[in-house]
Amino acid sequence: MSVEADRAVKQPLVSVVDDDESVRESLPDLLREFGYSAQAFSSAEAFLSSDYVDHTRCLILDIAMPGMSGPELQRELARRRQALPIVFITAHKDEAIRRQLLDHGAVECLFKPFNEAALLAALHAALRVN
Amino acid sequence: MKNELSQVVDTLDGLVWTARADGRVDFVNRRWCEYTGLGIDDARDQGWQSVFHSDDLPALLNDGASSRASSQAHDTEARMRRFDGEYRWFLIRALPLKDASGEVVGWCGLNIDIEDRKRAEEALRISERELRELIDRVPGLLAVADSQGRHEYASKRTLAYTHNSLEQVRGLGFINSLHPDEQDRVRQIWLNCVARGEAMDVEHRMRRFDGVYRWFHTRVEPFRDEAGNIIRWYGLLTDIDEQRRVEDALRQREQQLSSAMQIATVAQLSASIAHEISQPLSGILTNASTCLRMLAADPPNVEGAIETARRTIRDANRATDVIARLRALFARKEGATEPVDLNEAARAVMAILHSQLQRNRIVARAELCENLPRVLGDRVQLEQVILNLLLNALEAMNDVDDRPKQLLVTTEREEGDRVRLTVQDAGSGFDDGALHKLFDAFYTTKNGGMGVGLAVSRSIIENHYGQLWAAPNQQGPGASFSFSIPRLPDTNQTSTTHVR
Repeated sequence: MSVEADRAVKQPLVSVVDDDESVRESLPDLLREFGYSAQAFSSAEAFLSSDYVDHTRCLILDIAMPGMSGPELQRELARRRQALPIVFITAHKDEAIRRQLLDHGAVECLFKPFNEAALLAALHAALRVN
Repeated sequence: MKNELSQVVDTLDGLVWTARADGRVDFVNRRWCEYTGLGIDDARDQGWQSVFHSDDLPALLNDGASSRASSQAHDTEARMRRFDGEYRWFLIRALPLKDASGEVVGWCGLNIDIEDRKRAEEALRISERELRELIDRVPGLLAVADSQGRHEYASKRTLAYTHNSLEQVRGLGFINSLHPDEQDRVRQIWLNCVARGEAMDVEHRMRRFDGVYRWFHTRVEPFRDEAGNIIRWYGLLTDIDEQRRVEDALRQREQQLSSAMQIATVAQLSASIAHEISQPLSGILTNASTCLRMLAADPPNVEGAIETARRTIRDANRATDVIARLRALFARKEGATEPVDLNEAARAVMAILHSQLQRNRIVARAELCENLPRVLGDRVQLEQVILNLLLNALEAMNDVDDRPKQLLVTTEREEGDRVRLTVQDAGSGFDDGALHKLFDAFYTTKNGGMGVGLAVSRSIIENHYGQLWAAPNQQGPGASFSFSIPRLPDTNQTSTTHVR
């Protein structure tokens, strides 16, 4: 197995898509401490046009973003038949929306601020699904 | 000598007569004869009585009898018939003639024509009566005072209203009908006005016939003669109780609405507030978790930990800023007037709403006029108005899904030294019928909101000597809400007052 492939198995890639800069700053570091490798994108479009779509094992996705929203990206990935486990994160607490997103296949929807235990549980669930 | 005396007596401007001690007339002068048309022989003894009006004669004879009994002079008014049959009023003056010992030896008299004076008195009486009748007819509460400010007359309505008799209100008695709390104040004001000769305008409570106190406005004006001296004061009392209660209720309601608007706005903003604070908190939590793990690694990643600590501080500061901004927006302090830059205010409010706008997919743009003159006003209140307009625009575009939710905030100079701010949305707009209702305090098309915002906003703008209005967009769907207020003159633009 190549080094990259080896790493890919031992350190699954988690991609973070959020327009909030402090999330893009802080979350990848925490993910790396968890043992994952991480990439951050400021928009759904940026993620889609990157080389990381196929390698991403789990997507941490903001709901409300200018341009393509989180749910829209979820739909787009489904359209492309890209089976990618998604953990939504959002600062807007709305149980109805959470329900909707889970019904559409999301692994979890976390409300900010979330603690690391909740994040870890969601990541484990996402990667187990894979 | 007798001739000279006769000449004098006949020349005197009055009807002269003499009588014996028993009252029988023995002489009447020429004028008497000319006036009555009777000769001296017809007048003698008791003949003179025939020229007197039958209604007045008894009194005259009575007075004469009393005088003879008391040896005192008497004055009597009585009508005398002229040669042509006309009766005229005369003042009959009878004086006793006494001898050296003080005994009455005869009577002499002077009858003076007082017809003109009597007519004038009668005319005056009629005129006074007509005046009072007029005063009584006027559908208002009227009162009249003399030159010293003492109540002379009050119309029947006024007396009936306060359940007073004219006697009770005379002088300064009317003060007793006022509310006890106002009596001293009004008395003072009234006496001052009388002293200075100035009209009085005062609002006070007055007791109605049923004991209820109602608010009145009283205006009293001086009435001057040709020389400029005050001869009377005329006053009008107007019941302003309804109006006063409505004003008080309105003011209370406005305060309530203002609080309600703040509460409603906070409710609408709660999502935004939570959002604004959640983001930095989330960052803090994430960075702190990372920090601990980095320090627990073998070897500890101190560099990394330092970086996470730095980010944590930065996020905490962000949260503090948000709280400070929100506190300022909803501070309950007394209004403070200062120079305000509407561009800054617009930016500040849009910053607070940033995440909410984004979450609702609102495409918000600001086209703010450069070097916009500042205005004088209460920054917090003006920001509340801008906030209200933005929230309304947001709400208006809630159901829009077939076009971009464009929101445009513009500022510009308006002619007439004013500054205008407009919030334009691309919502469903409103029809003409709804336009005038928009500013109605509780009219709302929102499901969850209280429609208090626009009414209070308009009130705030009007307090700033400005106007707030709405119009459908000329091009495209939606509406524009604008307000314009006077700008500060150029000399006041460069103030060192710190505006946020």
